[in-house]
Amino acid sequence: MILLNYIASFFLIALGFYTIVTKYNLVKTVIGLCIADYGVNLLIITIGFNPGGTAPIFTWNELNPQSFFVDPIPQALTLTSIVIGACVTAMSLALVIKLEEQYGTLDTREIRRLRG
Amino acid sequence: MSMLSYQHFPIYAIMSLFLGAFLVVMLGKNRAVRNALAFISVSASLGFLLALVKRVMIDGEVIAYWMGGRVPAGGYAIGIALEVDALSLFFGLLIAVAVFVSCVYSFSYMSHDDNVREYYTLFLMLAGGVMGLVLSGDLFNMFIMVEILTFAAVALTAFRNTAAGALEAAFKYLVVGCMGSTCILVGTVMLYAQAHTLNFAQLSALIAGDMNTATKVAFALLFIGFSTKAFIVPFHPLAADAHGAAPASISVLISGVLTKSGLYGIIRLTYFLFQSMGLGSMQFLLVFVGSLSMFICVTMALAQHDFKRLLAFHSISQIGYVLTAAGLCTAMGISAGLYHAMNHTIFKGLLFLAAGAVLHQTGTTDLGRLGGLSKRMPHTTVLFLIGAFSISGIPPFNGFASKWMIYQATYMKAVESGNIGFLLVTIIALVTSVLTLASFVKVSQSVFFGRLPAEFENVKEVPFGMRFAMGIFALLCVVTGLFPNLVTNYLTKPAAAAVFSVGNYIDSMMGAGYAESVMAAPPAAPVITYTELGCWDPVSWLLILAIALLAVTIVALAGKYDRVSLRPAATDAKHDLFFGGEESVYSQVGGGDLFWGFKHNWRHYFGFMHDLHSGIVNDYALWALVALALALLFSLIVL
Repeated sequence: MILLNYIASFFLIALGFYTIVTKYNLVKTVIGLCIADYGVNLLIITIGFNPGGTAPIFTWNELNPQSFFVDPIPQALTLTSIVIGACVTAMSLALVIKLEEQYGTLDTREIRRLRG
Repeated sequence: MSMLSYQHFPIYAIMSLFLGAFLVVMLGKNRAVRNALAFISVSASLGFLLALVKRVMIDGEVIAYWMGGRVPAGGYAIGIALEVDALSLFFGLLIAVAVFVSCVYSFSYMSHDDNVREYYTLFLMLAGGVMGLVLSGDLFNMFIMVEILTFAAVALTAFRNTAAGALEAAFKYLVVGCMGSTCILVGTVMLYAQAHTLNFAQLSALIAGDMNTATKVAFALLFIGFSTKAFIVPFHPLAADAHGAAPASISVLISGVLTKSGLYGIIRLTYFLFQSMGLGSMQFLLVFVGSLSMFICVTMALAQHDFKRLLAFHSISQIGYVLTAAGLCTAMGISAGLYHAMNHTIFKGLLFLAAGAVLHQTGTTDLGRLGGLSKRMPHTTVLFLIGAFSISGIPPFNGFASKWMIYQATYMKAVESGNIGFLLVTIIALVTSVLTLASFVKVSQSVFFGRLPAEFENVKEVPFGMRFAMGIFALLCVVTGLFPNLVTNYLTKPAAAAVFSVGNYIDSMMGAGYAESVMAAPPAAPVITYTELGCWDPVSWLLILAIALLAVTIVALAGKYDRVSLRPAATDAKHDLFFGGEESVYSQVGGGDLFWGFKHNWRHYFGFMHDLHSGIVNDYALWALVALALALLFSLIVL
């Protein structure tokens, strides 16, 4: 179960990078970035997961050595990562809109005025 | 702990920039208020760091600061920490100075733009991100800061979004930059999965002695991630695009500050986190990548026709020097690299500001269209030449001292290790320096000398504020070049010593004795002396130069120097320097044609490189993936 998660997360990251490299449409490039980001989020959550653990929400008195819960730190990291992923998507889509206005195309092969 | 205790200064230095960013958004409608807020926050940040110089640089104290007082419990660092040793402070000071000067320059430079309020917000966010990165003691916070600075840099690259290529450059940078950030995040969480801490000092203690496949993969990911931020080969096209499109004041930050954050990350990664620089293969990795960046970028620069794009390639070439020197893993190498990193911030800042001044007054950075501006912009010309001399390594400017140290460090490494490859690196460094000089002869000839095109007949000198900012950098170029003793003693020597005192770094954060209890034996810091250094006295080099010039003059005069004898037909414009064709159809030999012979002989190489830098974002992403694959192979096999 956990192994499947790891495989899936690295598969998603690889799929995202593959999309970025092979697709010539700007929107698909952005989708590639998103997929890679989802892969990372899944990876972080999986790292913090303890099979059978409860949610890491306790008051100080409830906490005892027998408490078994999932690692809360990766969950906090995932929240941050999700926020950053949303920023990436928003900003890259904003750039895509402007690029389409200026160049009249979404094809990366035609958006190459800066080269050499 | 009182509010004014020096322990708080690092977080104040970061927060004053971020606070400034938010205040500018809220209160910055009025130009004077906005400028005042930006100025106060950058000066405060610089001031807080300067106040730490005595303690950290001279007394050798390492400031470990736990946010909210959450100190480690049960041997695990739970809280978020800042840790400032001499290395952090060294980079922090560089950043603060560059940000300060760039801010002063922006006051005049950005005065004709729209949305200047948003500009200052992003500017301060970028500065705060880099400052947070170098002062942070927590790997995840380093990632957050990397993201903040990447976003701010992308937005600022696209700031003049009507300018040609600005959006394109920003998008390419965003895509590859985010791939790099993703790598950093994956590397970070993989290390967390191994060691269950994100504290940099504790990770350093736990990871180095316990290498397995996961940590090796994490190393490759982190290395590639920080490489994208340093723009070293194969990520250099992004830097060139971004620099060309961004406002000049932002180019200063991208080249002087953002690349430094990547370098800082690489140094922390190799020397602290994995402590693997003792391995010959790791030294090979850094020196190889550094030399490659050095050479490829300087040849790319020779082929450029755009002022800022050319400077951008030179910038990465100089970063190659720093990385090469840092990869030597000798005290001399590290201090040479740090010295050059500092000089790079200063002279590259100066050159970009000069390019910005030209753009501000003429509206173009095309080397083919410019010319003869020294008659209209004499101050800018002099300041530009100081920067050009510095980057080319001409005494007594600062580039000379640090490049000399790098040559000597690579040469000494070759002698010590008996490895002839390091000698090759010395030669590459020397050749690169010559090509740099050649390229700056071309730039100064095609921008500032030669004949003034009619369209720029009415160009005026830039406003005082911009000249003042350039003057600060120029002054620093001269001061750090004339007194290498002061720089090495008070800045690079403590920072280089800090690089070699991993044990002290860990203990300062986790409590005395922690490093020894976890690691086998933290390596002792070597005593650094510079007794063998050959560049101590740049003034005497200048004197030698002056004597040589005098001798040439005397010989020329004694030989009854005659203008006519040198130029058989003074009216024949065909024999003018940098000039081709008849005078009636004036044609200045443009920047691109000055070294046509050289470029003709190397046409296959230049053609190949030109085709390779295709400008298609998929290609650059593919380069990033290939680099990642190579780094993974390297770390799995070698580490």
